[in-house]
Amino acid sequence: MSALRSTTRLFASSKPLFRPAVFARSYATVDALSQVSATGHTSNKTIQESKTLNVQEPNPSEQPKIKTFQVYRWNPDQPTEKPKMQSYTLDLNKTGPMMLDALIRIKNEMDPTLTFRRSCREGICGSCAMNIDGVNTLACLCRIPTDTAKESRIYPLPHTYVVKDLVPDLTYFYKQYKSIKPYLQRDTKTEDGLEYRQSPEERKKLDGLYECILCACCSTSCPSYWWNSEEYLGPAILLQSYRWLADSRDEKTAERKAALDNSMSVYRCHTILNCSRTCPKGLNPARAIAEIKKMMASN
Amino acid sequence: MLSQKVAQQSLRRLAVQQPYALRWSLMNAASPAAIALGRNIQTRQAATSSNSSDPTKLLAQQRLNRPVSPHLSIYRPQITWIGSSIHRVTGLMLSGSLYLYATAYLASPMLGWDLGSASAVAAFAGLPIIAKVALKATLAMPFTYHCMNGVRHLIWDLGVGLTNPQVIKSGWTVVGLSTISALLLAFL
Amino acid sequence: MASIARQNPLLRQSCLSAFRAPWATKNVAQAVAFHASAKKQILPPLPQSIQGTMNDPAPIPETHPTEGSYHWTFERIVCASLVPLCIAPFAAGSMSPVMDAIICSSIVVHSHIGFHASITDYFPTRRVPKTHTFMNWLLRAFTLGTAVGLYEFETNDVGVTEALRRVWKA
Repeated sequence: MSALRSTTRLFASSKPLFRPAVFARSYATVDALSQVSATGHTSNKTIQESKTLNVQEPNPSEQPKIKTFQVYRWNPDQPTEKPKMQSYTLDLNKTGPMMLDALIRIKNEMDPTLTFRRSCREGICGSCAMNIDGVNTLACLCRIPTDTAKESRIYPLPHTYVVKDLVPDLTYFYKQYKSIKPYLQRDTKTEDGLEYRQSPEERKKLDGLYECILCACCSTSCPSYWWNSEEYLGPAILLQSYRWLADSRDEKTAERKAALDNSMSVYRCHTILNCSRTCPKGLNPARAIAEIKKMMASN
Repeated sequence: MLSQKVAQQSLRRLAVQQPYALRWSLMNAASPAAIALGRNIQTRQAATSSNSSDPTKLLAQQRLNRPVSPHLSIYRPQITWIGSSIHRVTGLMLSGSLYLYATAYLASPMLGWDLGSASAVAAFAGLPIIAKVALKATLAMPFTYHCMNGVRHLIWDLGVGLTNPQVIKSGWTVVGLSTISALLLAFL
Repeated sequence: MASIARQNPLLRQSCLSAFRAPWATKNVAQAVAFHASAKKQILPPLPQSIQGTMNDPAPIPETHPTEGSYHWTFERIVCASLVPLCIAPFAAGSMSPVMDAIICSSIVVHSHIGFHASITDYFPTRRVPKTHTFMNWLLRAFTLGTAVGLYEFETNDVGVTEALRRVWKA
């Protein structure tokens, strides 16, 4: 606890005086749910790191390379508290090369309450998608910049509802994915009753589409998706949509196109191109959307 | 009774503000009183408790509390989205001024304003040269940018030039070309 | 919210009153306790609510080609035709009244589509249905006014390209 600055501790301990007792949660009791939910929507404004605790490297090495990480924090158990930025300082000599290593090290050694999704640590599951230094990417594929003078800022995916800390709620994103029927639709059988065949050229059309891991980096980087995520499908879902439109084996192309033919689903795309810029897998959702628009215009 | 309540209250405050401080102190020296009061048992937070009969309702209520993560203010300024927002702003500015001027011209006989071209020319001619150039540049810059970026958009709609390096290069080319042509127009 | 509204103080002013959602007033007492300064957000996102379970697909909108693919194609044709129309006055000096009328009408159509797209983006029907309808009617009225105004300007004055040329040379 010596890591806590005395000034911030002073500041923190004076806070409860100004806070209604209702909002103070007790240590070992479970609040009635009504009490929690009655508090309403949390403010979206974030408290800056200068006003929060600074957690420091517990055991730095001989010649430490100390880098500061500012991490977005919000705890659903204190729903009335505003989201805040918390700084953690890490010795890069003792930390792995990737952002995910830093986060795991913070969680293991400094603050077990830090919450984030992670699984494969090699960019194939898409769990650790977050906004690092202003750009959406996978924490496991993002190197920690070795410039220790600059601090790194880590936020959840932009304009998403936050479940806790760096965990966004992607329920609606998945519901949108389901709405485009992401599976082969076909009524007729092949002549010989064996598998549906494709020529190498037809198969080639699916390259750059099937690799998408649905990490939602591109969709949440799109300003148009920020403002209209309920109706606009967003780059990731449209890329998947095009993956099935472009598939030579699929027979419901006309129905798929009809489902997209309205003002919101596709045409909220204004070719801002943040999606292709940010994709951690190097795919090009913008090109897929351009192809969809061409397909739709040509019927 | 009262003193116990006060002690409990302060403990709670400490727990809310500095969960670690409390946990550490409890781990290091779990006082018999604390054990007796059951103070060092595992915490169970409301969000993870399952005392509700309907779990979907619980989730719906939790959703209402969620904040939205920051977006515009934290996203790194890149030529892609900054260029696009400038495209929209310049378009709205140009069309907006045309709309305002044309409707004002329509209404001018009723309001007694003189908005004809002759008076506009006379008013503009009366300005000092620096004001003229500045005014022309501020009019020409949105126009040239919007036109050139519009061409870029039309090329994209053909499905061409959508790779990252091409987009970055064409974006900065448009910025450069529109600045140069706006300055040329301003000194015309 | 709207990048345009953020950058354009005039628009921002006019947006503010339209965007005061009913839920925002509900928690005023609480908000006051946590905010030192009352900074107003433009079209702040609503508290999250999701219809149906996570296994239900999001609703698919009705097919409406006149708002979808036909609209997009028309928009692109207008845009593409504006490219030569914008270059022509610079190349040819002053324009004939017919060409002038063609330029003006294409620009008005282009502007109308652009404004309409902005309204759809920043005043979504789902969120502010009344403001959406009002803004669309306001836009229609303004477009009509502009079209008539430009017609008057073309017939009574020297024409748009000629007027711009004269002002530029003044």
